[in-house]
Amino acid sequence: MPLDTSTYSLALLRLDGRRWNELRRLHAQISTQAAADGSSYLEMGNTKVLCTVSGPHEGKAGGAGGGPRSTQAKIEVEISFAGFSGVERKKRQAKDKRTSEMSHTLTQSLAALLLTHLYPHSTITIHLSILSQDGSLLAACINAATLALIDAGIPMTDYLCACTTAAPPTSAETEAGGDPLLDLNGQEEQELPFLTVATVGKGHAVSVLIMESRVRMEKVEGMLAVGVEGCKRVREILDKVVKEHGKRFA
Amino acid sequence: MATTQSAPTLTFPRPIFAALSPSPFLQAHLAPKNPIRANARAPTEFRKPGLNTGSLTHCNGSAVVRLGNTTVVCGVRAEVLRAEDVPQPIDPKADEEDDVEEIDTLRLLVPNVELSTGSTPTFLPGQAPSTFAQSLITRIRSLLLSTRLVRAKDLRIMYTPPRTTEDEDEEVQPEVKAYWTLYIDTMFISLDGDAFDAAWGAILAALRNTMLPASDWDQDLEMVLCDDDVKKARKLELRGLPVAATFAVFQGEEDEEGEDRSWVLSDPDAFEEGVCRESVTIVVDGKKGSGKIRRIEKSGGTVVGREVMKGLIRRSEERWEEWNAVLKG
Repeated sequence: MPLDTSTYSLALLRLDGRRWNELRRLHAQISTQAAADGSSYLEMGNTKVLCTVSGPHEGKAGGAGGGPRSTQAKIEVEISFAGFSGVERKKRQAKDKRTSEMSHTLTQSLAALLLTHLYPHSTITIHLSILSQDGSLLAACINAATLALIDAGIPMTDYLCACTTAAPPTSAETEAGGDPLLDLNGQEEQELPFLTVATVGKGHAVSVLIMESRVRMEKVEGMLAVGVEGCKRVREILDKVVKEHGKRFA
Repeated sequence: MATTQSAPTLTFPRPIFAALSPSPFLQAHLAPKNPIRANARAPTEFRKPGLNTGSLTHCNGSAVVRLGNTTVVCGVRAEVLRAEDVPQPIDPKADEEDDVEEIDTLRLLVPNVELSTGSTPTFLPGQAPSTFAQSLITRIRSLLLSTRLVRAKDLRIMYTPPRTTEDEDEEVQPEVKAYWTLYIDTMFISLDGDAFDAAWGAILAALRNTMLPASDWDQDLEMVLCDDDVKKARKLELRGLPVAATFAVFQGEEDEEGEDRSWVLSDPDAFEEGVCRESVTIVVDGKKGSGKIRRIEKSGGTVVGREVMKGLIRRSEERWEEWNAVLKG
């Protein structure tokens, strides 16, 4: 168990040497592919995601028949896992349920974030390639998609930044209840109950909240608070990346 | 812009000219005395490869190769195949040089190429592998086997059973208990022509970077146990360094004397591949003068004959030196 180690109970250091509120190394690059309209590469620790955006372009199914969607741009998200990304080599089918769920979450959150009414009858396609998985996959995808959309020049209200948090451990030693952990790696995600949260902007507007494990009600508020703080820090890092890129044109 | 003697001023910009009439566009570049291509390279100039190895965490070996705007990621994963799961076991041949059959029959090398990643508008994600992708995989697989790049002995996990008799003279034969299967996954991040060269270069670099853990067969547990001490892991002992070079032949319009004009372009990009109908791929191993040809593939067209082919082989040997410098350090 990631938190059963002696280092955690004595020095409160996780397996990779972080404290409860430390993010992993977040490295991001924008405009990595010349051929795409917008592209980005993001690393959260060992989770590596590549994102390309193409659009807005004419939708595949012709604009004439459009229903309620035709006054807004349609967002399509595709996720592909490289064979070498996980610990075991499993070739994920494109229609895998978990993958569909992830892409659906991304589609919904991005449709709400982007100013889609500016591009009626068109489609924006976002493609994510997962090169390496080590926890916080949905969060990394959300962050990479945000950067790539900014690179493509598609207007949005603010950054959509995501991160993960885990429930604080309760053991005999920690009477106070312990602190929720921020930014989980692969091993921690498998063992601890965790949630992924994404916020828009600097404030507390939560856009995405996904939790699939069981946890006691009292802990959720603490986890959410830590998650929102983490998203603020992610936003600072992403903003710095975008501004550095912009300096080249200054 | 190429400056020809009687070029009228264009009323529309270069990219539109290139899109409307690509063949005359390229010919206008190549026609003058010092031909230059639309991407500002000489016809015999290859793009310098950029290489980065060992960046993927869950892989035994990995490489990222950039050839201009073509970017490829390759990851090598090793998984254990138990000898008892093999339907028809193969005896390891006494002759170590003749081990292709073992690798081929047991499928110990599994290359895969993923093109439908949004790398170019023609390969949209979510599609089934196109014929181009499938043929790329087949060519790579046959090249891996024909160059006998990977040694079968690197992939075998041996076990020497303890002596059962007291006879000192009787040799105890080691048995093959399991094999390492290498899954070589290649993913195109962006494609700007010359997919084969980039994919092969990435696979070669990833295989050179691959480390297999020290592993033993445990007779009591009846399974393979691997040691996670990095110092005990060993690299693959590859045979040679075969390097691929692709050429595209551009056939222009006849000139004033009615003669055919054609140019052979090294390392074509996507625009040039679109206008060329003939292509040649040569795989060589070794520098100029002492290189061995491992493969020649030619498809379409009638321009490249024996003389031109000799020139292309020389160009490929020069390319070998470029790749050798990049791969070795």
